Amino acid sequence: MSTSSEHEQPMLIDIEHIAKSYVMGEETVHALKDISLKIRKNEYVAIMGPSGSGKSTLMNILGCLDTPTKGSYILNSNVVSEMDDNELAEIRNKEIGFVFQTFNLLPRYSTLKNVELPLVYSGMPSGERKERAENALRAVGLGDRMGHKPNELSGGQRQRVAIARALVNSPSIILADEPTGNLDTRTGDDVMRMFEELWLNGNTIIVVTHEPDIAAHARRVVRVRDGVIESDTINEHPVSAIEKAHEVELSEVAA
Amino acid sequence: MWSQILEGIKIAISAIRSNKLRSGLTSLGVVIGIAFVIFMGWFLQGLDFAFEQAISTLGTDVLYIDKWDWAGRKSWRETMNRPDITLRQCEELTSRMQSAEAASILARKWNATVKSGSDNYTGITVVGANSVYADIAAGVIKTGRFFSPVEDMYSSNVCVVGYDVVKNFFGEGTDPVGKELKIKGVTFTIIGKIEKQGSMFAPPWIDNQIIIPIKSFLNIYSGSNKMMKNISVAIKAGGEENVENAKMEAVGHMRQIRKLQPNQENDFAVNESQAFRDNIANLRLGVWAVGIGLTALSFLVGIIGIMNIMFVSVTERTKEIGIRKALGARRRSILFQFLVEASSLCFLGAIIAFVLCSVVMFAVVRFGEVTFLTPYIPPNLLIIATVVSIVVGVLAGMIPAMRASKLDPVEALRYE
Repeated sequence: MSTSSEHEQPMLIDIEHIAKSYVMGEETVHALKDISLKIRKNEYVAIMGPSGSGKSTLMNILGCLDTPTKGSYILNSNVVSEMDDNELAEIRNKEIGFVFQTFNLLPRYSTLKNVELPLVYSGMPSGERKERAENALRAVGLGDRMGHKPNELSGGQRQRVAIARALVNSPSIILADEPTGNLDTRTGDDVMRMFEELWLNGNTIIVVTHEPDIAAHARRVVRVRDGVIESDTINEHPVSAIEKAHEVELSEVAA
Repeated sequence: MWSQILEGIKIAISAIRSNKLRSGLTSLGVVIGIAFVIFMGWFLQGLDFAFEQAISTLGTDVLYIDKWDWAGRKSWRETMNRPDITLRQCEELTSRMQSAEAASILARKWNATVKSGSDNYTGITVVGANSVYADIAAGVIKTGRFFSPVEDMYSSNVCVVGYDVVKNFFGEGTDPVGKELKIKGVTFTIIGKIEKQGSMFAPPWIDNQIIIPIKSFLNIYSGSNKMMKNISVAIKAGGEENVENAKMEAVGHMRQIRKLQPNQENDFAVNESQAFRDNIANLRLGVWAVGIGLTALSFLVGIIGIMNIMFVSVTERTKEIGIRKALGARRRSILFQFLVEASSLCFLGAIIAFVLCSVVMFAVVRFGEVTFLTPYIPPNLLIIATVVSIVVGVLAGMIPAMRASKLDPVEALRYE
């Protein structure tokens, strides 16, 4: 893979010396101490770190769910670090597609309604909303499950609904938090293949994980420990989930 | 905005449907409150309607010069000791009245017995009046006519009968004109029938009366001295704006006729149908006070109930709020969602109350034979109750909804 083409891509995330601290009781916890991170469009980044490393805090800030105590965060030329609650909500709606470990679908809604939800909050008229949600569901291979409730779907299918929901707004980043944590290896691989396809189609993917196997799919690995970035490396030998899937299929045919 | 409202209502309906029993129980307080509002309004509207009807049967611009004060402004003892108003005084007053449109002597025999063929009826009120009484307060003559001035002057034996008299003697709906009645052995020919006028506040005898010329009345009853004392004068002022003038004139004449000294108080009463308004005002006020008190109390209970369940709902759905926020819901979207949910709960209560009230009202009017109340919820009350229920919902939902809207998305997403 040529890295030079990646560098021509515009800068999407520009984090400069951010810190985040919480007051818990009488103690102040410094979850993030000094982090600077730049991510360009169409990168595939894994953020790794053990629990307590500040990895989740970093993800919350990247996802505009939280703001840093210090430093600046510019996302797609929006100064996120100075935004209030409502502006953050708007930027999340526009720029970020979340994929969570526990899927986080609304149980009373059909898959179609779940996928429509981000569009509801962006104020899209219902006809257009429905069409786009249907397209997103078809894209993840769930065109025949639109009327189903989440509890009528398997774990893998639920995560695919979540991916469709993350895609439906055409966000700048897809931010996945342990996306395979609640799935078996086979469906996990399936989800990773989907991310790879999305990346090949030009999307920017950030996967937060503690599993090396999952991080191995990314083209760049950022390791966080004790609130600082321990290492930020290009993955010279990424594992392609698409190729892996082919191999599995071939071996199954052979058997 | 509309799509947001629609969305909010859809969310609310699905939230209510997933907790049917809880939602039903919660809205019970509101059901009671709305039912109170509706019943109170219903009763008051009925009361007003009946009262206005009664006033109009008595005439809104009619004065009654009488020994007795209807509004009870004087003590009974004081009234008892007043000298009676005599026939001569009445004749004097009717002939002197200038400013009024009409003035008629009015004498009544209560609880009279009347015969038709072999049929006997008691409890009838026989009224003696002048022919002008037709224009004062005799009611509407549906069939036939009132007696003429000539019949009045020559004490003809003709009569005009009330609705119930016809019903009792000849059966409902029959044309009584030309038929004969015997009052104290004297035969009277019926020449007219008065349209039904009874309602809650009208005197109960109003449909059970027989009106005859005053001279005929005196011919029959003059043997009884007592009758001559129970005489009054009905004066039609001719428009409500003329009532004060007519009243002043009548009082002036009466004081002269009864030879009162300037320092003496009136020893007669000037009754107006308007005087009833004071009585009804107290009744209204009573209904309002009790109604408002009970309504406020049940709404307070209702609001606390709804608020409580909304707090529970917000806590239960913390994760959902977190998800919605992560996907881009602003504070006001979340606030709105929960306000709509609380209002929908209250509106649900209102609908239950509508059904309940409709059943009760229909039953009361149908089986209780109450004529002055409507057998359905008056439309204006439907609107008021709907608005009230939604306002109550907003009030009850405000604090829980604010709490929901201010949840931190990171915390909310972590909630299990």
